Amino acid sequence: MANTFADFTKGILKENPTYVQALGMCPTLATTTSAINGLGMGLATLAVLTMSNVVVSLVRKFIPEKVRIPAYIVIIASFVTIVDLLMHGFTYDLWKTLGLFIPLIVVNCIILGRAEAFASKNGVFRSLLDGLGMGVGFTLSLLLLGSIRELLGNGTIFGIKVWGDAFKLFMMILPPGAYIVLGLLAGLFNFIGIKRKAKIKG
Amino acid sequence: MGEIVKTGLILAAITVIIGLILGVVYMVVKEPIEDAELAAKLRAIKVVLTSSENGKLIVSEKQIPKNLKDLEEKVWKSSEDGTLFESSKYKAKVLSPAYKFVGRNGENIYVLTGSAIGYGGSVVTMAAFVKKDGEFYENAIEVLEYSQETPGLGARISEKDVKKRFYGLSSKAFQKANGLKVNKDAGILPKSSNEEIRKLKDSGVVQTSDVMTGATITPRAVVNTLNAMFEFLNQEVK
Amino acid sequence: MNEGARIFLIVLSAILVNNFVLQRFLGICPFLGVSKKIDTAVGMSIAVLFVMVLASTIVWFIDRLLIALNITFLRTIVFILVIATLVQFVEIFLKKSSPSLYEALGIYLPLITTNCAILGLALLNVQMEYNLLETVFNSLGAALGFGLALIVFASIRERLELEEIPQSFQGLANALITAGLVSMAFMGFQGLVKI
Repeated sequence: MANTFADFTKGILKENPTYVQALGMCPTLATTTSAINGLGMGLATLAVLTMSNVVVSLVRKFIPEKVRIPAYIVIIASFVTIVDLLMHGFTYDLWKTLGLFIPLIVVNCIILGRAEAFASKNGVFRSLLDGLGMGVGFTLSLLLLGSIRELLGNGTIFGIKVWGDAFKLFMMILPPGAYIVLGLLAGLFNFIGIKRKAKIKG
Repeated sequence: MGEIVKTGLILAAITVIIGLILGVVYMVVKEPIEDAELAAKLRAIKVVLTSSENGKLIVSEKQIPKNLKDLEEKVWKSSEDGTLFESSKYKAKVLSPAYKFVGRNGENIYVLTGSAIGYGGSVVTMAAFVKKDGEFYENAIEVLEYSQETPGLGARISEKDVKKRFYGLSSKAFQKANGLKVNKDAGILPKSSNEEIRKLKDSGVVQTSDVMTGATITPRAVVNTLNAMFEFLNQEVK
Repeated sequence: MNEGARIFLIVLSAILVNNFVLQRFLGICPFLGVSKKIDTAVGMSIAVLFVMVLASTIVWFIDRLLIALNITFLRTIVFILVIATLVQFVEIFLKKSSPSLYEALGIYLPLITTNCAILGLALLNVQMEYNLLETVFNSLGAALGFGLALIVFASIRERLELEEIPQSFQGLANALITAGLVSMAFMGFQGLVKI
């Protein structure tokens, strides 16, 4: 049971997809211009990642070793297309808001990364937990990054004003800000990791 | 050799299965998607037909189309290939169909849809033009498609405060040598009072740099679409 | 504006103004992954240049087919398949015809399949409604821009290797902050080209 639980929790801190594994960097950097955008991208990825992990785990025994990468890419891409079509048809307003992120999910290497590293080797239930955990970790990372960038760049969080216009560093919403804030956060995560290790040791 | 054939067959099988699933899903959602698109279009028409000055409809309530049949009755011009007019000057298109309504005082109102290329693809805008005293007056716009624009930058074009900057443009605004412009392209720093922003509009400059900082390409696509619509109307309506 | 000037502007804008890595955030994984040494950065850039131009050109023709058949909703999936197959073919072809080139580029090719910049570029060309000529040159520009960013970045990282950096900032953190500074420098090209 402890092991199963760990499948879920490892994605949140210890193997955080963004800060530790550096997976899915493109959408991370591109969409975190505000807290709400970070959350949107995170949730869309969470859904696709969980489902694709389950599907890949289900079909893992039928796919020959040699062609597994193209096969996974096709499965994921068709999956995203299906989600896109269903949302377009049945939840139009949500599709309009999240529509920005859907094409980005296909090229998000976190999905292929987890399919290859975890779902292709483990059972359905564990793959589900892994997908959920990684998805939650990804969402939290994006939310954090988006909130910080929005706060520094626009003086707001989720559109709520925190401080006045005098402290706006507009650069933070532009591409360089994405790299710099993410770099600083990765440094912070490293720092926490190092401190933790030192504590365990002595 | 047998190995390769087997692998190939499995890959082919996967592709066929996925192709079938996708086909089925597409058939199932085709109708809901069309319905949803229509509903969005009807909502947009209502928005552009609402006066930007007093918030009331500029046509009588019963003229607002409520379903596909109502909408088809309002078609003014349409074309087979989906494009009514292409402006080479502004690199923007007017899309088919165009609609025509009659306003409360009997004036003609044209509702056009147009598109121009933004940061990563098409930005589709709908706008209503009122013909008043022989001149066109743009009432309001709605941005229908902007899904390739950057979240937080260009994609803010869909926010109400941004769209309002494109409301209420007189024909004077379009008659400058290079048409309507955004303030960044015109080299004008943002003004703070509503009065000054209003004045800028009359001189053919839409101020956006304060409400959507950092984005130039997306609002430029919208003004160019409006410019193309204005060109089209002047050519078609005598 | 005549056609030649327009093409030139498209190339210039793809290299400097809308640089794939630094402004559009595509292809970050290889950007961070293979930028530790200048040699590998150059190899990767050449491989990307080759695949990008070839893939976008082929995809342009396939897209005409998709439009003609009215199945554009399959765009992403078809493009991905085409790119994956293409990379495999290029690999086999190089292995047979030019072993020395294969030696040099071979290890980068599998990485390219999963490089989102290739798919991103193919989709972008379609969304921007470019014609064949513009597609080819935009791809050329995008690939050159990718190469430029990668090589500049690798040169900086090679030097940084020799510096003392706080332990927590070694590796990813430092690479990202450096990328931020390079990106900021490239912001200076903003407004240079207006298409």
